[in-house]
Amino acid sequence: MTVVVGVADMKVSNQASHLLVTHALGSCIGVAVYDPQARVGGLLHYMLPDSSLDPARAAENPYMFADTGIPRLFRECYALGASKARLKVKVAGGGQVLGGEEHFQIGRRNYAALRRIFLRNNVLVDNEEVGGAKPRTMFLDLASGRVWVKVIGQNLVEL
Amino acid sequence: MSLIPQILRSLKHLPPFPVVAQRALTLVNQPEVSIEELVEVVKFDPGITANILRISNSAYFGLRREIHSLHQALLLLGTQELLKIIIASGATRLFANGTPGYFQEHHGLWRHSISCALMADLLARELAATERTTAFTAGLLHDIGKIVLSLYVEQKFSQIMAVVEKRGLPFQQAEKLVLGISHAEVGGEMARIWDFPNRLRLVIHYHHLDRPEAFSDDMVLLIYLADLLVMMFGQDLGNEGLAYDGFPQVLHHFNLRERDLERLLMHFGSSWGEAKVFFGLVGDGHAVQRAHRG
Repeated sequence: MTVVVGVADMKVSNQASHLLVTHALGSCIGVAVYDPQARVGGLLHYMLPDSSLDPARAAENPYMFADTGIPRLFRECYALGASKARLKVKVAGGGQVLGGEEHFQIGRRNYAALRRIFLRNNVLVDNEEVGGAKPRTMFLDLASGRVWVKVIGQNLVEL
Repeated sequence: MSLIPQILRSLKHLPPFPVVAQRALTLVNQPEVSIEELVEVVKFDPGITANILRISNSAYFGLRREIHSLHQALLLLGTQELLKIIIASGATRLFANGTPGYFQEHHGLWRHSISCALMADLLARELAATERTTAFTAGLLHDIGKIVLSLYVEQKFSQIMAVVEKRGLPFQQAEKLVLGISHAEVGGEMARIWDFPNRLRLVIHYHHLDRPEAFSDDMVLLIYLADLLVMMFGQDLGNEGLAYDGFPQVLHHFNLRERDLERLLMHFGSSWGEAKVFFGLVGDGHAVQRAHRG
């Protein structure tokens, strides 16, 4: 069964029949985590780097921001029996329009926020497909833990 | 080989612009519009009242009372808000066919156009611009050139993308290089044929800011920025993704910082779920596909 993860949304699951998918990541970032032993995984689609932009909004929907969404993704997987040491982490998105280094950089800041959070918490990224101008859709298969990225008009690539 | 003669020939067979939307355009930003004038406009399309009631009563507007008539909608939403619904509803016929050169999804262009209209409206409010209905309309129609050019882009897509990737050019310039004309220029031609207000035509023609003239009108810059923000938001991205130029001078012009862009995306994202009621204006058998996109 396909479970769609919307924008500023997250799903975690221990159902082997679930295929989690999040569509058309622009500057947003998709984070997929999976524990192959517990067979628990989750997919987060966050939009913005930092909840200090609007803490009230972050309280309402933590999945909008990296710093509130990512910890939540891990915690909810732990609640289903995942362990941090076993979690495989894959990342996609963070696209950018063409041009300068300083402007329209939400994709890059989204990715930098994730890197900061992971560094502070000793989390390694196993694989990633970030940056550039390509639109990406991301899949996580709960039965196998495999993650794919689809760029429109190209073949599926496994992360 | 330039495809321009062929493309211009297909413009000769352009269907007329939908009459309801055409008439509604003349009422945009008029200080006072009477209920009689609106009734005059909508009477050309029997389905439109149902659309107005559906959208007026959706969570997007969050009204506490149920609206049963055009008159009530006018009283509770105001003329300009109602005009946005009428123009969107009236323009649907243009977007009924797929544009596979640009979007995989059958209604991708419609969704992108609605998203851009809503983002332009939000941006106009943020910038305290008075012409929010104009912004909405221009956002809705900015990419009409893609309706005609899709066929040609579909044939040459990989060639166009190769130019984007090898030369670092934005997509519309690569289009021009390969096909001889860009979707923005084709849109400008369509606006001329359909006798759009001059300003709207300029927005459509220059919305990727290829020419210095683009910088002479705030509305062009506003739509350019709304378009870019919608691409960053993702969701209704076309095949070309985010392959368009980001011009920092537009941010300086409006005195916007990166943080402001984040806030705009946040507001857009928060109302996104409710705004999707507009997507449903284009009706046909593709509901499953839409549902799949959540």
